Amino acid sequence: MPKTTAVIGRSQAIVRETRHLLFTVTPGAAWIFFFLVLPSAYLMSVAFMSNGPYGLPEMPLSLTSFHQLAGQGFLGWSPGNLLTLMRSLWQTVISTVLVVLVAYPVAYYISQADVRWRPILLLVVVVPSWTNQVIRTFGWMNLLAPGTPLAELAEAMGMIAPHMGLYPSNFAVTLGLIYNFLPFMVLPLYAAFEKLNFSLVEAARDLYASPIKAFWYAVFPQTLPGLLAGVVLVAIPAFGMYVIPELLGGGKGMMLGNLVANQFSGSANWPLGAAGAILMLIATFIGLYAMRRIGKRLGGGEEVVI
Amino acid sequence: MKHSAFKKGLRGFWWLTVGFLYLPLIVVMVFSFNASNSAASFTGISLRWYRRLLGNDAILSALGNSMLLAVISSLVALAIGCLIGYGMYRHRHRKLGWLIVLIYLPIVLPDIVFGISEMTFFMKINELTGLLSPGLGTMIIAHVTFQIPFVALIVYSRFVGLDPSLFEAAKDLYATPLQRVRFFMLPTLKPALISAFFLSFTLSLDDFVISFFTSGPESATLPIYIWSAIRKGVTPEINAIATLMMMAVALAAIASLWLSRRRTVS
Repeated sequence: MPKTTAVIGRSQAIVRETRHLLFTVTPGAAWIFFFLVLPSAYLMSVAFMSNGPYGLPEMPLSLTSFHQLAGQGFLGWSPGNLLTLMRSLWQTVISTVLVVLVAYPVAYYISQADVRWRPILLLVVVVPSWTNQVIRTFGWMNLLAPGTPLAELAEAMGMIAPHMGLYPSNFAVTLGLIYNFLPFMVLPLYAAFEKLNFSLVEAARDLYASPIKAFWYAVFPQTLPGLLAGVVLVAIPAFGMYVIPELLGGGKGMMLGNLVANQFSGSANWPLGAAGAILMLIATFIGLYAMRRIGKRLGGGEEVVI
Repeated sequence: MKHSAFKKGLRGFWWLTVGFLYLPLIVVMVFSFNASNSAASFTGISLRWYRRLLGNDAILSALGNSMLLAVISSLVALAIGCLIGYGMYRHRHRKLGWLIVLIYLPIVLPDIVFGISEMTFFMKINELTGLLSPGLGTMIIAHVTFQIPFVALIVYSRFVGLDPSLFEAAKDLYATPLQRVRFFMLPTLKPALISAFFLSFTLSLDDFVISFFTSGPESATLPIYIWSAIRKGVTPEINAIATLMMMAVALAAIASLWLSRRRTVS
């Protein structure tokens, strides 16, 4: 009965293939599950517990941590945490916008260079980000410290008090964020510029479009997918940034990442920290989801490879 | 005429941006050779901070920890990530959406959430079982977790780039699975494995936030040492270690890039 043997043979092959799949994929999938999915689920659950002694989570379940995140404390409402949230949002928006403004011409410049030079020019932009974030931020601390040319210039212009540095300040945090995230915007924008269809630009010029109009109608829409990818790559990590506000912002430049981290050390309150982490996750998933939706509507289902 | 003015402006903007990107790094490098104690003024060239590094046990042990962590975690991630990458390739016609979500998770999770999740979870496990006390072991686990996706994706894309008939040829010649791994898989994968190793190594050396939250009292890495030195008050030695670290990471990254390019060209 050749037919049944064929069926048996096929089902054996399916079993073998499934076993193969399980064998290759299980170690890694289990690793990520046990050492990332479970831990994050545990952290989420901490947000819904009460704050016990030493800041450790305790039963019963409660929503106190979310109230605290919104500013409710023992002494009534205080704006501290909300201000930190607003500052994170503001720093994220302003630094993303400024990064776009710098990255756009840079990516365009690279895309217009000689083909042989493009990878090298791209590398020139990316290399600084290979250095450890702590070291790069330390470099800015050196540059913005009291007595440096930049600080003296600011002092001469009356922007800061004498013998002060340019950090800690919100300005320094914005600068640090722009510095840190510029390459993440240049790369996807460059990828978009490289594929730019110039015949559309020529058509626009033939139809007597001004350079600005030609840019807006013929160039900008084509770079939009890259721009969106860049915005996601910049805005999400900026929102939860820890190192830069900690070193360049001081107590008055704190962002959500610092608020969260502090709840697990000094003034410990694990549930409050976990609630902050949930907020960060929500922002992350909204960002990724929006990017997917807009990407689909633009018709380009392309993945951006970093 | 107008056009060339635009080009000149663009070129000027490019050089300004490059200056902006390199200035902080150059400052760190220049001050690492500073003869004076003060970070505010450069008084002359000297190697005294580099000499001081050699006598600083805390820095040397941090360096040792960084290296040990990077090597061990990269090797573990290489083995696990390689298997996933191959599994993803062999079974890519199946619905593996859940696997892809799982693999992207370590990449998209904000690193502070990543680090704190690991820290709280490890502390809970430690409280319940006495295992996983914070130290090099927990740091290795955390680093492997963020390295796996990169290894898997590199290996996967290497396989996708291959001619599928190569796999069949290996099978048709009656090679046993072990022989196929030995004489076909490993040689073809070698460049991908090398560049994945270098990438994992660099990611590990470069990480601060996740290490910071999973480290124990004895397991400070160089970035953690630098961080605490900055917080305690800047010492000029930091410029010297920072310069050495920049060199090391740049060399590893360039090596990985060079290896992966050489392969695609040939």
